[in-house]
Amino acid sequence: MIEFTLNGHTVQTEIDPNTPLLWVVRDHFKLKGSKFGCGAGLCGACTMHVDGAAMKTCVMPISAVAGRSITTIEGLGTPDDLHPLQAAWHQHAVPQCGYCQSGQIMAAAALLEANPNPSSDDIDAAMSGNICRCGCYPRIKRAIQSVSESALAYDAMAKTGERA
Amino acid sequence: MNTMNVSRRRFLQSSAVAGGGLVVGFSLSGCSNTSAPLPVAHTEGAWTPNAFVQILPDNTVRFYTARSEMGQGVTTGLATLVGEELDVNPLDMEIRLAGAHEDYINPDFGMQGTGGSSSIHAHYLPLRQVGANTRALILDAAAKDLGVAASSLSTDSGYVVSGAQRYPYADFIDTASGLELASDAALKPASEFQYIGKESLRVDSIAKSTGTAEFGLDVDIPDLHYAVVVRAPVPGARKVSANTAAASVMPGVVSVLDISSGVAVVAESFWQAKQAAAKVEVEWEQTDLSRVDTETLRADYRNALASGEGVEEPNEGDVDTALASAATVLEAEYWTPLLAHSPMEPMNATIRIQGDRAEMWTGIQFPFAVPAIVSRVADIPIENVQFHQTYLGGGFGRRGTINHITEAAEVAVQSGKAVQLVWTREDDIQQGPFRPASLMRIKAGVDASGKLLAWDARRAGGNISPDSYRTLLPAAFPWMGDSVAEGVAQMSEWYFENFATDESSTEGLFEDYDHPNTRVTHTTVDHGLPLTFWRSVGHSYTAFAKESMIDELAQAAGVDEVAFRIQNTESNPRRQNVLRVAAEHMAKMNPPEGHYLGFAAHHSFRTDVAEIAQVSVDNGAIRVHKVTCVVDCGQVVNPDIVRAQLEGGVIYGLTAALYGDLNLDRGAIRESNFHDYPILRMDQAPEIEVVIIDSGTEPTGIGEPGLPPIAPAVANAVYKATGQRLRSLPLKLA
Repeated sequence: MIEFTLNGHTVQTEIDPNTPLLWVVRDHFKLKGSKFGCGAGLCGACTMHVDGAAMKTCVMPISAVAGRSITTIEGLGTPDDLHPLQAAWHQHAVPQCGYCQSGQIMAAAALLEANPNPSSDDIDAAMSGNICRCGCYPRIKRAIQSVSESALAYDAMAKTGERA
Repeated sequence: MNTMNVSRRRFLQSSAVAGGGLVVGFSLSGCSNTSAPLPVAHTEGAWTPNAFVQILPDNTVRFYTARSEMGQGVTTGLATLVGEELDVNPLDMEIRLAGAHEDYINPDFGMQGTGGSSSIHAHYLPLRQVGANTRALILDAAAKDLGVAASSLSTDSGYVVSGAQRYPYADFIDTASGLELASDAALKPASEFQYIGKESLRVDSIAKSTGTAEFGLDVDIPDLHYAVVVRAPVPGARKVSANTAAASVMPGVVSVLDISSGVAVVAESFWQAKQAAAKVEVEWEQTDLSRVDTETLRADYRNALASGEGVEEPNEGDVDTALASAATVLEAEYWTPLLAHSPMEPMNATIRIQGDRAEMWTGIQFPFAVPAIVSRVADIPIENVQFHQTYLGGGFGRRGTINHITEAAEVAVQSGKAVQLVWTREDDIQQGPFRPASLMRIKAGVDASGKLLAWDARRAGGNISPDSYRTLLPAAFPWMGDSVAEGVAQMSEWYFENFATDESSTEGLFEDYDHPNTRVTHTTVDHGLPLTFWRSVGHSYTAFAKESMIDELAQAAGVDEVAFRIQNTESNPRRQNVLRVAAEHMAKMNPPEGHYLGFAAHHSFRTDVAEIAQVSVDNGAIRVHKVTCVVDCGQVVNPDIVRAQLEGGVIYGLTAALYGDLNLDRGAIRESNFHDYPILRMDQAPEIEVVIIDSGTEPTGIGEPGLPPIAPAVANAVYKATGQRLRSLPLKLA
C-alpha cells in the first residue's frame, strides 16, 4: 500500500506501484483536471506539484510519491475561490481549447512560489516544458507577469494612491 | 415546406424562433419528418422557447452552443449574438454544449458541423434573431401579466423594466410559454450594441483555468473500461494474423478484440490497456503504401509535375503567350510535408450500449456523425443513440474525423462493456489522417512596370475530399450502404484525378492578385495515405508557394514587396486596404541590428490578413521575434478573441514553418511523439501584435486565416537576412 498526501488529504492506494501518478489521480481518485497529453513527459499537460515542485506525472510511478505531498489543479483553487493565477488566466483570456491549462497553471504556480519576480527569460525557462497547441504563450506570459510580486505591489500602490 | 406535419406544440416549442422560414436553411425543425425532442436539460419549470435558450425559474439563462468549442471562442461569440438581442450579458449565462439535433445545423454547411471558420459568419443574423424573438415574446408576456402596453416596457440584463419596477424574465415564462413566438422581431442597429464588438472576457475561461471544464477524456460513467487499439504501422494495412496470448493475461485486461482497424485491448484502466497493447503481436499485410518513403512521395510528385498532365482549372487568358512577352519571368518549386494535427487532447470517445439504446460522449466537430455511426455499427435505431458533446481539447480539423467513433462502437458491441477508447500520442502522430504533402511549381511573369501578366501554377499531391466522403457519407446518409459509400468515395477519387480539381487542393494558389492570364494545373498523386482538413486546409501550403513567389517577383522587378502587392490588387479594395495599413505599420518599424522584416498576405475563409515577421538568423537558427498581423474580418463580435485567434494561428503556423515534418519509412510514419515531432514552445514564441481593421462589413472567418501568411512571411525575412530563398517547409538553412 502506498500512502501520500493529495490536496491536503492523506490517501492510500493499493494500485500497481508502477502506475503513473497521473492515472492514479485521474482514474482512482477521480480528479480529472490533470491531463494526459503525451505519456512521455514531453508536453506538461499532466503537471502537478510534488512537494511544491512542478513535475510531469505521466511518467512518475506512484511508488515514487509515497509519503510525499501532491497538489493538483483542484487543490490550487476552485471556480468560487480562484488562485490569483487562475483569476489572471480569466482576466487575460488565456485559455483557448483549455486542455493544457491545468498543467500550465501548475507550472506557473511553482515558478512564482520559487521566484516571485521572474524575468521574461525566467518565465520562458520555467514554462517551456508545457506545450500549448492553441498558441496561448503570449497570454500565459502576460498573466504570470500580472501576478508577479512587483506587479501586485504596483497595483496595491496604485489603489492606495501611493504611486510614485 | 408543404410536407410539414408537426404539432402546434412542437412548432411553438422548438421551431418558431429558430426556423419558421425566418432564415432559410438555418433550421429545418418544424418541417422535418421526425420530431426528435430537443436534447436539452429537463429542469423543473424551465421555459425552452427554442433550441438555444432556456430560462429557469431562478432567472438563470442557459445558452446551448450549437457549434463545437475547440478553443476558437465560438461559445463566447454565439452567446454574445444571442445575448445582444435578448439583453443578457453572455458572461452571466449558464453555458451548455448542445447535443445532436437538426435545429443545430450550421446554415453554411447544411449539417451539424463546425469548421471552415464559418460559425460567426453563419450565425451572425440567425442567432441575433433567436435572441430578438425570445425577448419580444417575454415583453408580450410581461405586457399581458402586468396589464400594460408592450411598448411601455424595456429590458435590462435579464429584467423587464416597467417604470421604476424591474421584473426578472422568469416571472413571465409561464405566460410566454402559451404565446406564439414572433419570427421577425426587429434587430438592434449596430449603434446600440452593448456586447457585439466590445471588449469582453470568455465565457469558458474560468472552467478552463480550474480543471473543471469537461473534455471527452474526463468523462466517467459507472463500470467504465478503457480501450487502446493496436493499428498497422502502415496506415490502412489489414491484419494477416495476430498473437494476443501475452496481452490477454496482462493485469486488468478483460478482452482482446479483433476490430476493423486492428486489435483492441480492453482493460480496467487506460494504463493497463496501454501496457497490454504493447504485448500484442500482429502481422500486417503489405500494401502499395508499404513501398513508399518520403523520397518516393517527393519523386512521384516531381514526375507528375514534369509530365505536364493534370486538370486545368481555371485556365483563363493565354498564359503561354503572356509569359513569352513578360519583362521578367520566374519559376520556382515549393515543397510542404505531411503533417499531423496533434491536438493536445488525444482522440477519444466514451460509449455505453444498453439493449437497443446507446450513449456516446466525445468532443467532435461533426456531431451529426455520432448517432449515425453508432447506429450503423451497433445495429440499433439512430433515434436511440444519444450524443453528449464535450469541450474539444483542440480540433484543427482532426476532430472533424470519426475513426475513433467507429472503433469505440465496435469495441463496445464486442466487449459488452461501457468503454472509453483512447488514442495514444503515438497513434495520433503516426496514424493520420494527415495534412497532405504538396509539391507546387509557380511560373509567373511581370511587365516592365511591375504588373503581373501571367500566373502558371501547378500542384501535385493527394486530395482530401475522397477520404471525407468515405468517412462522412455513411454518417450523413444513414440509409446508404457501406459499399455504396465506398463506391461514391472511389468515384470521387477518379473524378478528381481526371475531370475536376478538388477545391481544397489548390485553394489559395492563384486567387489573390490581378493577373489577366491564369492557369492552375492539378495532378493528383495518391499513395493511399489517409488525408483530411488541417487548420486552413489548402491555404496552409498554397500561401507559402504563392507569397514566396510574389516576394521573389517583387525583388526581381526591383519594387518594394508591399508596394508590388498593392499594385497588383487594384480589383480588390478590401485586400488592398489591408496591404496599405500593413505597409504603414511596416514603415514605422525599426528592427534592431541583425533583425529583418518579412512580409506576406493571404485571403482565406472570406478574411484578409497581412503579416510582418521580424526575424534573425544566428548560426543557422531562425528566430522569430515579433509578428504584426493586420486583419479585416468584417464586423468583429469579440475583439480579444479575434486577437487570440490570430496569435494562435501564427503560433500553430510557426510550428509548421519551423519544425513540422512527418516522414514515411516504407509507408510508416517515422516520428512518434513530441521529441521528434516538436511543437513550438514558449521560449521560441514571438511577441504578436494584432491590428484589426473595422470595416463594418459582414463578419468573416477568424479561426484559420491567421495561419497561412506566417510561413512565407518568415521565409521572406530569412531571405533578407541570408540571401537564401528557402522553398521547402519546414524552413532549414543550408
